[in-house]
Parts: sequence; C-alpha cells; structure tokens
Amino acid sequence: MTLPSETTGRFLPSVDRLENTMRAARRAFDHGDLEGALREDDVAIQLKPEYDAAWLLRGHIFRKDGNIPGAIEAFAQALKINGESQEGWLGLASALHEVGRFEEEGEAYDRLLKIHPRSIEAWIDKGAALHALGDYREAIACYDKVLGMRPEHAAAWNNKGAALLRLGDDAGAARCMDEALHLDPDFYDAMANRVLLYRKMKRHGETVFWADRALRFREAPWLWYVKGTAHLGLRESTLAMKAFERALALDPKSKEARAGLRKAKTLHQTKDFYRGVYECFGTLLVGDPGCEECEIRARCREVTT
Amino acid sequence: MSLPSLAEVEHSDWPSLQRMCETLGLNPKGRSAIVRMRVADYVRHRAHPPSWRPAREHQAALLTRLGHPDLAERVWESTIQLEAPAPRVGLGHAQLAGGFLAEAAKSFARAAQMGDASGELHRAEALAAGGDYQGAATACETYLATHARDLRALLMKSSFLARSGFEEEANKVLHTAAELHPEVALIRRTLGLALLRTGHHAAAADALQEAVHRDPKDVDAVVGRGAALLLAGRTREAIGVLREALEIDPKRADALNNLGVAYRAMGRTKSAAVNLERAAKHRESPRILLNLGKVLEEAHEPAEAVRAYEQVLKLRPKDSEAVAGRKRVGVSAKARRTPRKRVASPRKAAPTTRRKTTPSSEATTS
Repeated sequence: MTLPSETTGRFLPSVDRLENTMRAARRAFDHGDLEGALREDDVAIQLKPEYDAAWLLRGHIFRKDGNIPGAIEAFAQALKINGESQEGWLGLASALHEVGRFEEEGEAYDRLLKIHPRSIEAWIDKGAALHALGDYREAIACYDKVLGMRPEHAAAWNNKGAALLRLGDDAGAARCMDEALHLDPDFYDAMANRVLLYRKMKRHGETVFWADRALRFREAPWLWYVKGTAHLGLRESTLAMKAFERALALDPKSKEARAGLRKAKTLHQTKDFYRGVYECFGTLLVGDPGCEECEIRARCREVTT
Repeated sequence: MSLPSLAEVEHSDWPSLQRMCETLGLNPKGRSAIVRMRVADYVRHRAHPPSWRPAREHQAALLTRLGHPDLAERVWESTIQLEAPAPRVGLGHAQLAGGFLAEAAKSFARAAQMGDASGELHRAEALAAGGDYQGAATACETYLATHARDLRALLMKSSFLARSGFEEEANKVLHTAAELHPEVALIRRTLGLALLRTGHHAAAADALQEAVHRDPKDVDAVVGRGAALLLAGRTREAIGVLREALEIDPKRADALNNLGVAYRAMGRTKSAAVNLERAAKHRESPRILLNLGKVLEEAHEPAEAVRAYEQVLKLRPKDSEAVAGRKRVGVSAKARRTPRKRVASPRKAAPTTRRKTTPSSEATTS
C-alpha cells in the first residue's frame, strides 16, 4: 500500500488531517464564522467520532449560535468521552444555566469539583446557581471558598455581598461591596448592587450617586427608575422626571416608571431643588471638610437621613 | 501636566485634594470622599497603562517561583494548547515543585513527545527527585541520542549514574564530556575529583594536573591533586602541591590535613603536628582530630593526644578509633598529669608491655 506523500512520515495517516481540520475549525470560530467552524468540526468528528475536543468545540459553536439544547448534547457527548474535562463540565453547566436548569447546573459543578476541587470558576458559578435557586447561605459558602483561594477576586466579593443583601445583612453586604469596588473600581455589578443596598436603606443621596456611576458604564431601565425615585426622595423633581423619562425611553412598557413620572410632575408644581455642582447632595457627613465648605449644606442636612 | 499617583490621591489631605482638582480642572466641591473618588477616577482613566502586562504563562512561571505550585499548575493547565510543548514543561515544573513527581515526569514526557527534546532532561530531573537515578540516566541518554555534545546532559547523566552506583560509567561519561569540551576547565576538575573518589589516584592526579594547568588559581583542583598524589604514594610531590595550595588559600583545612599526613608519612612528625593543629583550628572535623591524635601520640605527647581524642568523642561520642586511642595513651597521660609530690607506697612495678601500635593517619580526599 502506498500512502499519500504528505502522510508517509506518520504512523496514522489521518492525524495530520484531523489536526488541520480542528485548527481550521478553531480559527473559524475565533473569527466568528460559526457556519464554517461547524463544517470543519463535523469533518473532525467524522474522522474521529470519539474526539472530545471536537465535541467541546461543537458545544461552544452551538452555544454561541443560541442552540442551547444542541450545546448541552454536544458537551454531554464530550463528557462521555472524557469525563474529567473541566472545559466540558463548565460548558455544560453554563448551557444549563442559560435555560434555567439551575439544579442540574449545580450538579455539573459538583461533578467538576470532585475532579478539580480548586476550580475557581466552578466554585463561583456554583455559588451563582445556588443564588438563583435562593440558597444564599450555601452560595456564600461557595464564595468563601473562592475568597480563601483568591482574596483579590472582586466578583466573589460582589456575589457574596449580593447574597448577604438577600439575607438582610446590610452591613456585611456593604463591606463586601466595598471590597469588590476597591479591587475593581469600574465593576458595574458591584455598583448596581450598591444602588440596591442604599435604596433599601433609604439613603437617597448615595443611591443617586452610585446609580450615576453605574449608568456611566451601562444603561438599564431599572437603574434609571431607581435613580428617579431617589431624586424624588431628595425633592429634585426635574432630575426625577428626566430619570423616569429615560427609563421609559428604554422600556416604554414600564408602569412603575410611568407612575414615577406622574409623581415627579406633581412634585414639580410645588418643589424642585437644584443641586448645582454637588453630586454628593444628600450624603452629608458632619465634620467632613468638604461638607463644612458646602453652600447647600442646610438643605443637604434636611434630606440626608 | 503630570498626574498624581493613585496612592497620593488616596492619602492626600483636603487642601491637597483641592489643589489637585484645581490643577486637573476638576470640580473641587463636595464631600471629601466624593472629591477623592473624582480625582482617582480621573487619574485611573488617564494614566498610561503599563507597557507590559504579564501573560498567563508569565504569571504561571512566577507563581511557581513564588512558592505557589498548586496555583501555578492551574494557570499552566489553562495555557495548554494542542501543539505547544512549552506549557507542558511549565506544568511539569509546577508539579515538581508541588511534589507530584510522577505527574511531573508525565508532563515532561508529553513535552518531549510534542517535539521539545529538552523535555527528556526535565523528566530526568523529576525522576531523580523521586530517587529513580537509573531512569534519570536513561532519560538523559535519550536526549543525548539527538544532542550528543550537550554538556548539561552529559554532566547530568554522569551525576545520575554516580548516584545510582555506576561510578565507573559516570567517569566514562565525564571523560567523553572532557574530550568533547576541552575548553571547559571545570570538567577536568570534576573528572579528577570523581576519579579520586573511585580510587583511580594516578589518573585523578593527571586529570587534576590538566585542570590546574588551565587555571592555576583553581584551589580545589590543586588540593585534589595533592590528595591524589599522596594516595598514589607520591608523597614528596604531594607535599609540594599542597604547599602551593596553601599559598593560594592558607585556611584550607583539607590541604593542611593532607599536608600533615604527608609529613607524617615522611617521618616529619613535628611538621605533621603543626599542620594538623592548624587544620583542626580551621575545621573541627573528627578525621582531622584523629590524625592529630595519632601524630601527637607518635610525638610522645600523650596528654595532647588524649585531648584530641576527647575532642573527637565530643563530636562523635562512640568513635571507635578515638576510644581506642584514648585507651592506648590514657594511662601514661594520667601518669604525667599526676604530680610527683605524692609519695606512693612502694609497690611492685608491673612489667609494662609496650604495645606496638602503628596508628594509620588518613588523608581527606574532599
């Protein structure tokens, strides 16, 4: 038997082709050519049906394409071939998360953690799955595991803060969010959680301040709505109206925003405070040198709770 | 306009913060924490990003060196690619540092299979760390099949062979290394010392002579040559060489000891004692002290000899040579120490049978 010239040096003539096909599939996937990637991946699977890397890639392609059931099937197939693949378990779990199958997602992380007990991704994602299931204490235990290994993990601090907020431990939540924002000052999720915390504590000044910061990174109708209600609390009807209008522009069906806008308009007829350059309005701190020099200090004292 | 550092912003007082706002054109009004955050945001977003950021590979390598092999292992795992052997080598080192020797050997073997021949040398290190010196030597041999002149591999193979008990084979590898790399003086010295350890004294003297010829200031080679000559029975030459060594480094205890032994062999007991005493001053070694004890015995200084033996017994409480030496000279030393003032009651003098002892002094070879 005579082998083709390019493969004569190899024991298995298909290895070269398999490697080239996989490389082409990966390249196409990296360039966003999902169709091309799937085509090459199909060839790879035909060449070697028990090739876990090809099935993993297939899972990623399907997931990116929005075909979540297909992704779940592909990841499951990859795991049948190689049950110890971290990428496989993480892929399967995230696909399950996308379709809201949180319990199965948690099981996938448990399986992965049996193989890789120090997987940061698995611990933090397991915590998120438990959070989604409402098991906040167990979620916190997962985040603590992550923080034990990586104390500088901003996302773990933020997630722990969010879970503590759900459990009603406002002080603990504030501490965790402080840590998260200290480690990553531009961390949107931590800012958004801070907004929710201050809103819960009815500290309108801080709510507006952190909502403003979060909105610089990403707009969300709920954030505009929360900012609007905080402005109402500070008796700033014009700013409240603007916030509700923006919330309605992003989500025209929001009944809360519409009701807020009505309230703001009513307030506007009687009261409208102008804060000027003081973005900290409503956050008065007695003894602070900045507050001592403030021109609207008397008004700030009235609205700061 | 230069930006303040984030640390400056974080720790500056209120007037400094306001000055910073003024310089940077920022709003200076508001609560101090908010103003501080404003300045910090400005600095963070305008400061130039560092020109170099460590990639995951760099982080992994640093983690191994910083003593976090478990974390390094995880980072290396995340960098593994289908056709790149380097992360396998890095992973192997992290596993080695973490004490997972079998896994490390596997990772290195995988790197070697992927085309990085040096993987075999790393594997050899992992195997040796687990005590498998023969396996380590075989791994070196595999590497040498394609890199026959590689000095590191040759020296590693020789070292592993010697540690697994194949000293003659180790010497042969060193011979090959010395022939392939005549420009490296160190190999001659290593070969000479290896030959000396394995009892080839004449060959050792020749190899060390060559090493000294290349680098006359190589005191280790000179001392080694002196020992080789002494053990080969060329005592007069040994004395000359050892004196040369002491001219380079007068505090070399091994050279002083060997010179003492050489003088003793020549029958110059006094010179021998002087050199051994100096050697013992620089290094309190049982071997040197035993040599000194024997020489002092011969010099008819039993009290001093007993002192030397007792010093050995302090270091090695059950040293048989020291015990025997003390027993041998103990009586006469005691007799000398006890003053003659006391008038002993007349007693019959016991016939003293003088034991003929020829205590053998030993040269130190390292």
